[in-house]
Amino acid sequence: MIKVQNLKKSFGDNEVLKDINLSIEPQEVVVVIGPSGSGKSTLLRCINLLESITGGHILIEDKDITDKKNDINKMREEVGMVFQHFNLFPHKTVIENLMLAPTKVRKVSSVEARKKGMELLQKVGLEEKANAYPSSLSGGQKQRVAIARALAMEPKIMLFDEPTSALDPEVVGEVLEVMKQLAKEGMTMVVVTHEMGFAREVGDRVIFMDGGYIVEENEPKQLFESPQHERTQAFLSKIL
Amino acid sequence: MDFRFDIIVEYAPFLLKGTLLTIGLSIAGILIGTVFGLFIGLGKMLQNKLLAFPFTVYITFFRGTPLFVQILLVHFGVVPFLIGETNAIYAAIIALSLNSAAYIAEIFRAGIESIDKGQMEAARSLGMNHVQAMWHVILPQAFKRMIPPLGNEFIVLIKESSLAAVITAPEIMYWGRAMAGQYYKVWEPYLAAAVIYLILTISLSFLLNRLERRLKTE
Ligand SMILES: Nc1ncnc2c1ncn2[C@@H]1O[C@H](COP(=O)(O)OP(=O)(O)OP(=O)(O)O)[C@@H](O)[C@H]1O
Ligand SMILES: [Mg+2]
Repeated sequence: MIKVQNLKKSFGDNEVLKDINLSIEPQEVVVVIGPSGSGKSTLLRCINLLESITGGHILIEDKDITDKKNDINKMREEVGMVFQHFNLFPHKTVIENLMLAPTKVRKVSSVEARKKGMELLQKVGLEEKANAYPSSLSGGQKQRVAIARALAMEPKIMLFDEPTSALDPEVVGEVLEVMKQLAKEGMTMVVVTHEMGFAREVGDRVIFMDGGYIVEENEPKQLFESPQHERTQAFLSKIL
Repeated sequence: MDFRFDIIVEYAPFLLKGTLLTIGLSIAGILIGTVFGLFIGLGKMLQNKLLAFPFTVYITFFRGTPLFVQILLVHFGVVPFLIGETNAIYAAIIALSLNSAAYIAEIFRAGIESIDKGQMEAARSLGMNHVQAMWHVILPQAFKRMIPPLGNEFIVLIKESSLAAVITAPEIMYWGRAMAGQYYKVWEPYLAAAVIYLILTISLSFLLNRLERRLKTE
Protein backbone atom coordinates (compact mmCIF):
# COMPACT_ATOMS: atom_id res chain seq x y z
CA MET A 1 0.00 0.00 0.00
CA ILE A 2 2.79 2.43 0.93
CA LYS A 3 6.34 1.93 -0.26
CA VAL A 4 9.08 4.23 0.92
CA GLN A 5 12.30 3.81 -1.03
CA ASN A 6 15.64 5.34 -0.08
CA LEU A 7 13.88 8.34 1.40
CA LYS A 8 16.15 11.23 2.35
CA LYS A 9 15.20 14.52 3.90
CA SER A 10 17.44 17.40 4.92
CA PHE A 11 16.72 20.74 6.52
CA GLY A 12 19.62 22.79 5.22
CA ASP A 13 22.74 20.89 6.20
CA ASN A 14 20.90 18.80 8.75
CA GLU A 15 20.07 15.42 7.24
CA VAL A 16 17.12 14.21 9.30
CA LEU A 17 16.09 11.14 7.30
CA LYS A 18 19.10 9.34 5.90
CA ASP A 19 17.92 6.28 4.03
CA ILE A 20 14.46 5.08 4.91
CA ASN A 21 13.05 1.95 3.29
CA LEU A 22 9.67 0.83 4.40
CA SER A 23 6.76 -1.09 3.02
CA ILE A 24 3.32 -1.07 4.54
CA GLU A 25 0.65 -3.55 3.57
CA PRO A 26 -3.07 -2.80 3.36
CA GLN A 27 -4.80 -2.99 6.76
CA GLU A 28 -1.49 -3.08 8.54
CA VAL A 29 -0.93 -1.05 11.70
CA VAL A 30 2.65 0.10 11.98
CA VAL A 31 3.85 1.74 15.16
CA VAL A 32 6.89 4.00 14.99
CA ILE A 33 8.97 4.59 18.11
CA GLY A 34 12.28 6.26 18.73
CA PRO A 35 14.01 9.01 20.69
CA SER A 36 13.18 12.67 20.26
CA GLY A 37 14.69 14.12 17.11
CA SER A 38 15.09 10.76 15.40
CA GLY A 39 12.88 11.88 12.50
CA LYS A 40 9.56 10.18 13.28
CA SER A 41 7.43 13.23 12.65
CA THR A 42 9.45 14.13 9.61
CA LEU A 43 8.81 10.68 8.15
CA LEU A 44 5.05 11.05 8.57
CA ARG A 45 5.13 14.57 7.20
CA CYS A 46 7.01 13.34 4.13
CA ILE A 47 4.45 10.61 3.52
CA ASN A 48 1.78 13.31 3.61
CA LEU A 49 3.89 15.67 1.49
CA LEU A 50 3.85 18.33 4.15
CA GLU A 51 7.63 18.34 3.65
CA SER A 52 9.33 18.23 0.29
CA ILE A 53 11.70 15.31 0.20
CA THR A 54 15.38 15.53 -0.68
CA GLY A 55 15.79 12.09 -2.23
CA GLY A 56 14.11 8.75 -2.87
CA HIS A 57 10.52 7.83 -3.64
CA ILE A 58 7.24 7.35 -1.85
CA LEU A 59 4.64 5.20 -3.55
CA ILE A 60 1.04 4.95 -2.48
CA GLU A 61 -0.75 2.14 -4.26
CA ASP A 62 2.03 2.16 -6.86
CA LYS A 63 1.56 5.86 -7.59
CA ASP A 64 4.73 7.83 -6.98
CA ILE A 65 3.53 10.77 -4.92
CA THR A 66 6.89 12.44 -5.21
CA ASP A 67 6.55 12.58 -8.98
CA LYS A 68 5.99 16.23 -9.89
CA LYS A 69 3.51 15.16 -12.55
CA ASN A 70 1.07 13.89 -9.92
CA ASP A 71 -1.29 16.33 -8.24
CA ILE A 72 -0.10 16.76 -4.66
CA ASN A 73 -3.54 17.74 -3.38
CA LYS A 74 -5.14 14.66 -4.90
CA MET A 75 -2.46 12.54 -3.22
CA ARG A 76 -3.04 14.19 0.13
CA GLU A 77 -6.73 13.37 0.00
CA GLU A 78 -5.79 9.70 0.18
CA VAL A 79 -3.77 10.17 3.35
CA GLY A 80 -5.37 11.34 6.59
CA MET A 81 -3.23 12.90 9.27
CA VAL A 82 -3.84 13.36 12.97
CA PHE A 83 -1.56 15.81 14.78
CA GLN A 84 -0.29 15.97 18.31
CA HIS A 85 -1.97 19.34 18.84
CA PHE A 86 -5.23 18.46 17.04
CA ASN A 87 -5.18 21.55 14.82
CA LEU A 88 -8.95 21.81 14.72
CA PHE A 89 -10.31 24.90 13.02
CA PRO A 90 -11.33 27.09 15.97
CA HIS A 91 -13.64 29.35 13.98
CA LYS A 92 -15.81 26.44 12.89
CA THR A 93 -18.10 24.18 14.88
CA VAL A 94 -17.29 20.51 15.25
CA ILE A 95 -19.57 19.44 12.41
CA GLU A 96 -18.26 22.28 10.22
CA ASN A 97 -14.74 21.04 10.87
CA LEU A 98 -15.80 17.70 9.45
CA MET A 99 -17.71 19.18 6.52
CA LEU A 100 -15.18 21.71 5.27
CA ALA A 101 -12.84 19.52 3.23
CA PRO A 102 -15.51 17.20 1.76
CA THR A 103 -17.59 20.15 0.56
CA LYS A 104 -14.72 22.31 -0.69
CA VAL A 105 -12.37 19.66 -2.03
CA ARG A 106 -14.68 16.80 -3.00
CA LYS A 107 -17.60 19.14 -3.79
CA VAL A 108 -19.94 16.90 -1.81
CA SER A 109 -23.28 18.62 -1.08
CA SER A 110 -23.49 20.04 2.41
CA VAL A 111 -26.51 17.86 3.21
CA GLU A 112 -24.53 14.77 2.38
CA ALA A 113 -21.40 16.01 4.15
CA ARG A 114 -23.41 16.73 7.28
CA LYS A 115 -24.97 13.27 7.22
CA LYS A 116 -21.59 11.62 6.80
CA GLY A 117 -20.11 13.93 9.45
CA MET A 118 -22.79 12.99 11.97
CA GLU A 119 -22.14 9.31 11.36
CA LEU A 120 -18.46 9.83 12.02
CA LEU A 121 -19.16 11.84 15.16
CA GLN A 122 -21.35 9.03 16.36
CA LYS A 123 -18.53 6.63 15.70
CA VAL A 124 -16.15 8.64 17.90
CA GLY A 125 -18.93 9.17 20.46
CA LEU A 126 -19.36 12.91 20.04
CA GLU A 127 -22.56 13.43 18.08
CA GLU A 128 -23.95 15.61 20.85
CA LYS A 129 -21.03 18.02 20.36
CA ALA A 130 -21.74 18.60 16.66
CA ASN A 131 -22.62 22.26 17.12
CA ALA A 132 -20.04 23.07 19.79
CA TYR A 133 -16.89 25.03 19.04
CA PRO A 134 -13.57 23.23 19.55
CA SER A 135 -12.56 25.57 22.38
CA SER A 136 -15.31 24.07 24.55
CA LEU A 137 -14.02 20.50 24.18
CA SER A 138 -11.57 18.58 26.32
CA GLY A 139 -8.29 17.46 24.77
CA GLY A 140 -9.52 13.91 24.31
CA GLN A 141 -12.69 15.13 22.63
CA LYS A 142 -10.68 17.43 20.38
CA GLN A 143 -8.50 14.60 19.23
CA ARG A 144 -11.50 12.39 18.54
CA VAL A 145 -12.98 15.18 16.43
CA ALA A 146 -9.65 15.50 14.62
CA ILE A 147 -9.73 11.79 13.83
CA ALA A 148 -13.30 12.06 12.57
CA ARG A 149 -12.35 15.08 10.47
CA ALA A 150 -9.56 13.14 8.79
CA LEU A 151 -11.89 10.17 8.22
CA ALA A 152 -14.43 12.44 6.54
CA MET A 153 -12.18 12.52 3.48
CA GLU A 154 -12.28 8.71 3.36
CA PRO A 155 -8.52 8.30 3.31
CA LYS A 156 -6.90 4.99 2.49
CA ILE A 157 -4.23 5.49 5.12
CA MET A 158 -4.22 7.30 8.44
CA LEU A 159 -1.08 8.80 9.92
CA PHE A 160 -0.98 9.61 13.63
CA ASP A 161 1.81 11.76 15.06
CA GLU A 162 1.84 11.28 18.83
CA PRO A 163 -1.95 11.65 19.01
CA THR A 164 -2.10 11.23 22.77
CA SER A 165 1.04 12.92 24.03
CA ALA A 166 -0.59 16.33 24.50
CA LEU A 167 -3.46 14.81 26.48
CA ASP A 168 -4.15 14.50 30.16
CA PRO A 169 -3.59 10.89 31.21
CA GLU A 170 -7.23 10.29 32.05
CA VAL A 171 -8.40 10.99 28.47
CA VAL A 172 -5.67 9.08 26.63
CA GLY A 173 -7.76 5.91 26.82
CA GLU A 174 -10.77 7.29 24.93
CA VAL A 175 -8.57 8.33 22.00
CA LEU A 176 -6.72 5.01 21.90
CA GLU A 177 -10.08 3.25 21.97
CA VAL A 178 -11.16 5.07 18.81
CA MET A 179 -7.88 4.17 17.15
CA LYS A 180 -8.22 0.53 18.12
CA GLN A 181 -11.70 0.47 16.65
CA LEU A 182 -10.34 1.95 13.45
CA ALA A 183 -7.62 -0.67 13.28
CA LYS A 184 -10.18 -3.40 13.81
CA GLU A 185 -12.18 -2.09 10.87
CA GLY A 186 -9.14 -2.60 8.71
CA MET A 187 -7.75 0.90 8.34
CA THR A 188 -4.12 1.06 7.30
CA MET A 189 -2.37 3.08 9.97
CA VAL A 190 1.05 4.48 10.79
CA VAL A 191 1.22 5.60 14.40
CA VAL A 192 4.03 7.45 16.13
CA THR A 193 3.43 6.91 19.82
CA HIS A 194 4.96 6.23 23.18
CA GLU A 195 1.97 4.14 24.21
CA MET A 196 3.60 0.74 24.37
CA GLY A 197 0.37 -0.93 25.47
CA PHE A 198 -1.29 0.25 22.28
CA ALA A 199 1.70 -0.90 20.22
CA ARG A 200 1.53 -4.37 21.71
CA GLU A 201 -2.18 -4.75 21.43
CA VAL A 202 -2.89 -3.20 18.05
CA GLY A 203 0.42 -2.96 16.23
CA ASP A 204 1.23 -5.52 13.58
CA ARG A 205 4.75 -4.22 13.43
CA VAL A 206 6.90 -1.82 15.40
CA ILE A 207 9.62 0.27 13.82
CA PHE A 208 12.40 1.70 15.90
CA MET A 209 13.99 4.82 14.44
CA ASP A 210 17.17 6.52 15.57
CA GLY A 211 19.34 9.17 13.95
CA GLY A 212 17.39 9.20 10.71
CA TYR A 213 17.53 5.45 10.12
CA ILE A 214 15.17 2.59 10.76
CA VAL A 215 17.34 0.65 13.18
CA GLU A 216 15.08 -2.29 13.74
CA GLU A 217 11.61 -3.51 12.94
CA ASN A 218 9.69 -6.49 14.16
CA GLU A 219 6.45 -7.73 15.59
CA PRO A 220 5.70 -5.85 18.82
CA LYS A 221 6.23 -8.83 21.11
CA GLN A 222 9.59 -9.71 19.63
CA LEU A 223 10.82 -6.13 19.40
CA PHE A 224 9.89 -5.33 22.98
CA GLU A 225 11.03 -8.60 24.50
CA SER A 226 14.13 -9.34 22.56
CA PRO A 227 15.44 -6.30 20.77
CA GLN A 228 18.41 -7.11 18.55
CA HIS A 229 20.20 -3.79 18.51
CA GLU A 230 21.96 -2.12 21.34
CA ARG A 231 20.31 1.22 20.58
CA THR A 232 16.86 -0.35 20.66
CA GLN A 233 17.68 -1.99 23.99
CA ALA A 234 18.94 1.30 25.42
CA PHE A 235 15.82 3.15 24.25
CA LEU A 236 13.42 0.51 25.50
CA SER A 237 15.09 0.26 28.88
CA LYS A 238 14.48 3.97 29.31
CA ILE A 239 10.78 3.98 28.46
CA LEU A 240 9.47 0.62 29.58
CA MET B 1 -9.85 87.95 23.46
CA ASP B 2 -13.42 87.50 22.34
CA PHE B 3 -14.30 84.11 20.99
CA ARG B 4 -16.62 84.54 17.99
CA PHE B 5 -19.08 81.68 18.00
CA ASP B 6 -21.01 83.46 15.29
CA ILE B 7 -18.40 82.78 12.65
CA ILE B 8 -18.39 79.09 13.57
CA VAL B 9 -22.17 79.10 13.18
CA GLU B 10 -21.80 80.87 9.86
CA TYR B 11 -19.36 78.23 8.68
CA ALA B 12 -21.30 75.32 10.19
CA PRO B 13 -22.87 74.19 6.89
CA PHE B 14 -19.44 74.18 5.23
CA LEU B 15 -17.84 72.36 8.13
CA LEU B 16 -20.63 69.81 7.95
CA LYS B 17 -20.01 69.28 4.24
CA GLY B 18 -16.32 69.07 5.01
CA THR B 19 -16.98 66.47 7.69
CA LEU B 20 -18.93 64.35 5.23
CA LEU B 21 -16.06 64.56 2.79
CA THR B 22 -13.54 63.66 5.51
CA ILE B 23 -15.64 60.63 6.39
CA GLY B 24 -15.98 59.75 2.71
CA LEU B 25 -12.25 60.08 2.07
CA SER B 26 -11.36 57.90 5.06
CA ILE B 27 -13.93 55.24 4.24
CA ALA B 28 -12.76 55.12 0.63
CA GLY B 29 -9.17 55.01 1.85
CA ILE B 30 -9.77 52.16 4.29
CA LEU B 31 -11.87 50.10 1.86
CA ILE B 32 -9.63 50.45 -1.18
CA GLY B 33 -6.60 50.20 1.07
CA THR B 34 -7.91 46.95 2.57
CA VAL B 35 -8.45 45.24 -0.78
CA PHE B 36 -5.20 46.53 -2.15
CA GLY B 37 -3.37 45.88 1.12
CA LEU B 38 -4.48 42.24 1.19
CA PHE B 39 -3.08 41.80 -2.30
CA ILE B 40 0.21 43.49 -1.41
CA GLY B 41 0.50 41.67 1.90
CA LEU B 42 0.04 38.30 0.18
CA GLY B 43 2.55 39.40 -2.47
CA LYS B 44 5.12 40.21 0.17
CA MET B 45 4.67 36.76 1.69
CA LEU B 46 5.44 34.95 -1.58
CA GLN B 47 8.06 32.26 -1.15
CA ASN B 48 9.87 33.45 -4.26
CA LYS B 49 11.96 36.40 -3.04
CA LEU B 50 12.21 37.87 -6.52
CA LEU B 51 8.43 38.00 -6.94
CA ALA B 52 8.01 39.36 -3.42
CA PHE B 53 10.53 42.14 -3.98
CA PRO B 54 8.26 44.69 -5.73
CA PHE B 55 5.74 44.37 -2.91
CA THR B 56 8.45 44.97 -0.34
CA VAL B 57 9.55 48.06 -2.27
CA TYR B 58 5.98 49.33 -2.34
CA ILE B 59 5.57 48.95 1.41
CA THR B 60 8.95 50.49 2.13
CA PHE B 61 8.22 53.49 -0.10
CA PHE B 62 4.79 54.30 1.27
CA ARG B 63 5.73 53.77 4.89
CA GLY B 64 9.07 55.50 4.53
CA THR B 65 7.93 58.76 2.95
CA PRO B 66 5.55 61.39 4.36
CA LEU B 67 1.91 61.16 3.33
CA PHE B 68 2.16 64.89 2.57
CA VAL B 69 4.74 64.20 -0.13
CA GLN B 70 2.65 61.33 -1.49
CA ILE B 71 -0.44 63.54 -1.73
CA LEU B 72 1.48 66.18 -3.67
CA LEU B 73 3.01 63.58 -5.99
CA VAL B 74 -0.39 62.05 -6.71
CA HIS B 75 -2.14 65.40 -7.08
CA PHE B 76 0.39 67.14 -9.32
CA GLY B 77 1.93 64.08 -10.96
CA VAL B 78 -0.09 60.88 -11.04
CA VAL B 79 -3.64 62.18 -11.54
CA PRO B 80 -2.75 64.68 -14.33
CA PHE B 81 -0.76 61.91 -15.97
CA LEU B 82 -3.74 59.57 -15.87
CA ILE B 83 -6.66 61.85 -16.78
CA GLY B 84 -4.96 64.91 -18.24
CA GLU B 85 -6.04 67.29 -15.47
CA THR B 86 -5.93 67.13 -11.73
CA ASN B 87 -8.78 66.58 -9.30
CA ALA B 88 -8.28 67.11 -5.60
CA ILE B 89 -10.82 64.53 -4.41
CA TYR B 90 -9.54 61.79 -6.71
CA ALA B 91 -5.99 62.64 -5.72
CA ALA B 92 -6.84 62.52 -2.01
CA ILE B 93 -8.61 59.17 -2.33
CA ILE B 94 -5.78 57.67 -4.37
CA ALA B 95 -3.04 58.92 -2.07
CA LEU B 96 -4.85 57.83 1.10
CA SER B 97 -5.63 54.41 -0.37
CA LEU B 98 -2.11 53.80 -1.60
CA ASN B 99 -0.70 54.90 1.72
CA SER B 100 -3.08 52.88 3.88
CA ALA B 101 -2.59 49.84 1.62
CA ALA B 102 1.06 49.74 2.69
CA TYR B 103 0.17 49.78 6.39
CA ILE B 104 -2.73 47.38 5.93
CA ALA B 105 -0.47 44.99 3.99
CA GLU B 106 1.69 44.76 7.10
CA ILE B 107 -1.39 44.32 9.28
CA PHE B 108 -2.49 41.44 7.06
CA ARG B 109 0.92 39.86 7.06
CA ALA B 110 1.17 40.04 10.84
CA GLY B 111 -2.37 38.69 11.17
CA ILE B 112 -1.74 35.77 8.86
CA GLU B 113 1.60 34.95 10.41
CA SER B 114 0.06 34.98 13.87
CA ILE B 115 -2.07 31.95 12.94
CA ASP B 116 -0.56 28.70 14.13
CA LYS B 117 1.28 26.81 11.37
CA GLY B 118 -0.69 23.69 12.29
CA GLN B 119 -3.82 25.26 10.82
CA MET B 120 -2.36 25.42 7.34
CA GLU B 121 -0.93 21.91 7.71
CA ALA B 122 -4.24 20.47 8.87
CA ALA B 123 -6.02 22.11 5.95
CA ARG B 124 -3.44 20.87 3.45
CA SER B 125 -3.48 17.37 4.93
CA LEU B 126 -7.22 17.28 4.22
CA GLY B 127 -6.52 17.85 0.54
CA MET B 128 -7.22 21.58 0.34
CA ASN B 129 -4.96 23.55 -1.95
CA HIS B 130 -3.12 26.64 -0.75
CA VAL B 131 -5.83 29.07 -1.87
CA GLN B 132 -8.65 27.04 -0.30
CA ALA B 133 -6.72 26.73 2.95
CA MET B 134 -6.03 30.46 3.00
CA TRP B 135 -9.59 31.40 2.19
CA HIS B 136 -11.50 28.98 4.42
CA VAL B 137 -9.09 28.47 7.30
CA ILE B 138 -6.39 31.10 7.66
CA LEU B 139 -8.02 34.36 6.56
CA PRO B 140 -11.21 34.07 8.64
CA GLN B 141 -9.11 33.60 11.75
CA ALA B 142 -6.55 36.21 10.80
CA PHE B 143 -9.26 38.72 9.97
CA LYS B 144 -10.56 38.68 13.51
CA ARG B 145 -7.13 39.55 14.79
CA MET B 146 -6.75 42.26 12.18
CA ILE B 147 -9.82 44.20 13.26
CA PRO B 148 -8.20 46.19 16.10
CA PRO B 149 -5.19 47.34 14.03
CA LEU B 150 -7.45 47.98 11.03
CA GLY B 151 -9.64 50.16 13.21
CA ASN B 152 -6.56 51.99 14.35
CA GLU B 153 -5.57 52.57 10.75
CA PHE B 154 -9.05 53.95 10.08
CA ILE B 155 -8.59 56.48 12.89
CA VAL B 156 -5.19 57.45 11.51
CA LEU B 157 -6.76 57.98 8.09
CA ILE B 158 -9.46 60.27 9.46
CA LYS B 159 -6.77 62.48 10.96
CA GLU B 160 -4.33 62.34 8.09
CA SER B 161 -6.99 63.08 5.47
CA SER B 162 -6.69 66.65 6.80
CA LEU B 163 -3.55 66.95 4.66
CA ALA B 164 -5.83 66.91 1.63
CA ALA B 165 -6.68 70.53 2.51
CA VAL B 166 -3.43 71.65 0.92
CA ILE B 167 -4.53 70.32 -2.45
CA THR B 168 -7.91 72.05 -1.92
CA ALA B 169 -10.03 68.97 -1.33
CA PRO B 170 -12.92 70.62 0.56
CA GLU B 171 -12.80 68.53 3.73
CA ILE B 172 -12.83 69.78 7.33
CA MET B 173 -9.46 71.49 7.39
CA TYR B 174 -10.05 73.12 4.02
CA TRP B 175 -13.04 74.97 5.47
CA GLY B 176 -11.15 75.64 8.68
CA ARG B 177 -8.42 77.35 6.71
CA ALA B 178 -10.98 79.23 4.63
CA MET B 179 -12.56 80.53 7.82
CA ALA B 180 -9.20 81.53 9.23
CA GLY B 181 -8.35 83.35 6.01
CA GLN B 182 -11.62 85.26 5.84
CA TYR B 183 -11.72 86.50 9.44
CA TYR B 184 -8.04 86.50 10.40
CA LYS B 185 -8.94 84.30 13.33
CA VAL B 186 -6.97 81.36 14.70
CA TRP B 187 -8.76 79.79 17.64
CA GLU B 188 -12.29 79.57 16.25
CA PRO B 189 -11.56 77.68 13.03
CA TYR B 190 -8.88 75.37 14.32
CA LEU B 191 -10.57 74.53 17.59
CA ALA B 192 -13.81 73.88 15.72
CA ALA B 193 -11.93 71.52 13.39
CA ALA B 194 -10.21 69.84 16.33
CA VAL B 195 -13.55 69.23 18.05
CA ILE B 196 -15.01 67.69 14.90
CA TYR B 197 -12.02 65.36 14.50
CA LEU B 198 -12.27 64.38 18.15
CA ILE B 199 -15.97 63.55 17.79
CA LEU B 200 -15.18 61.38 14.76
CA THR B 201 -12.24 59.52 16.28
CA ILE B 202 -13.83 59.02 19.70
CA SER B 203 -17.06 57.65 18.21
CA LEU B 204 -15.10 55.34 15.97
CA SER B 205 -12.98 53.96 18.79
CA PHE B 206 -16.14 53.45 20.82
CA LEU B 207 -17.66 51.43 17.99
CA LEU B 208 -14.47 49.45 17.54
CA ASN B 209 -14.29 48.59 21.21
CA ARG B 210 -17.80 47.23 21.12
CA LEU B 211 -17.07 45.24 17.98
CA GLU B 212 -13.94 43.80 19.54
CA ARG B 213 -15.80 42.76 22.65
CA ARG B 214 -18.51 41.14 20.54
CA LEU B 215 -15.93 39.17 18.59
CA LYS B 216 -14.12 38.10 21.72
CA THR B 217 -17.17 36.52 23.28
CA GLU B 218 -18.07 34.69 20.08
N1 LIG C 1 10.99 22.52 9.80
C1 LIG C 1 12.21 22.15 10.27
N2 LIG C 1 13.30 22.90 10.02
C2 LIG C 1 14.51 22.53 10.47
N3 LIG C 1 14.75 21.42 11.19
C3 LIG C 1 13.70 20.63 11.46
C4 LIG C 1 12.38 20.95 11.03
N4 LIG C 1 11.54 19.98 11.45
C5 LIG C 1 12.29 19.10 12.14
N5 LIG C 1 13.60 19.48 12.14
C6 LIG C 1 14.70 18.74 12.76
O1 LIG C 1 14.65 17.42 12.31
C7 LIG C 1 14.99 16.51 13.35
C8 LIG C 1 13.95 15.46 13.48
O2 LIG C 1 12.73 16.06 13.87
P1 LIG C 1 11.40 15.25 14.06
O3 LIG C 1 10.38 16.23 14.48
O4 LIG C 1 11.11 14.46 12.85
O5 LIG C 1 11.76 14.28 15.24
P2 LIG C 1 10.82 13.32 16.08
O6 LIG C 1 11.42 11.98 15.99
O7 LIG C 1 9.41 13.49 15.66
O8 LIG C 1 11.02 13.88 17.55
P3 LIG C 1 9.94 14.07 18.72
O9 LIG C 1 9.84 12.74 19.42
O10 LIG C 1 10.59 15.09 19.60
O11 LIG C 1 8.67 14.52 18.11
C9 LIG C 1 15.20 17.35 14.60
O12 LIG C 1 16.58 17.50 14.80
C10 LIG C 1 14.56 18.67 14.25
O13 LIG C 1 15.28 19.72 14.88
MG1 LIG D 1 7.67 14.32 16.52
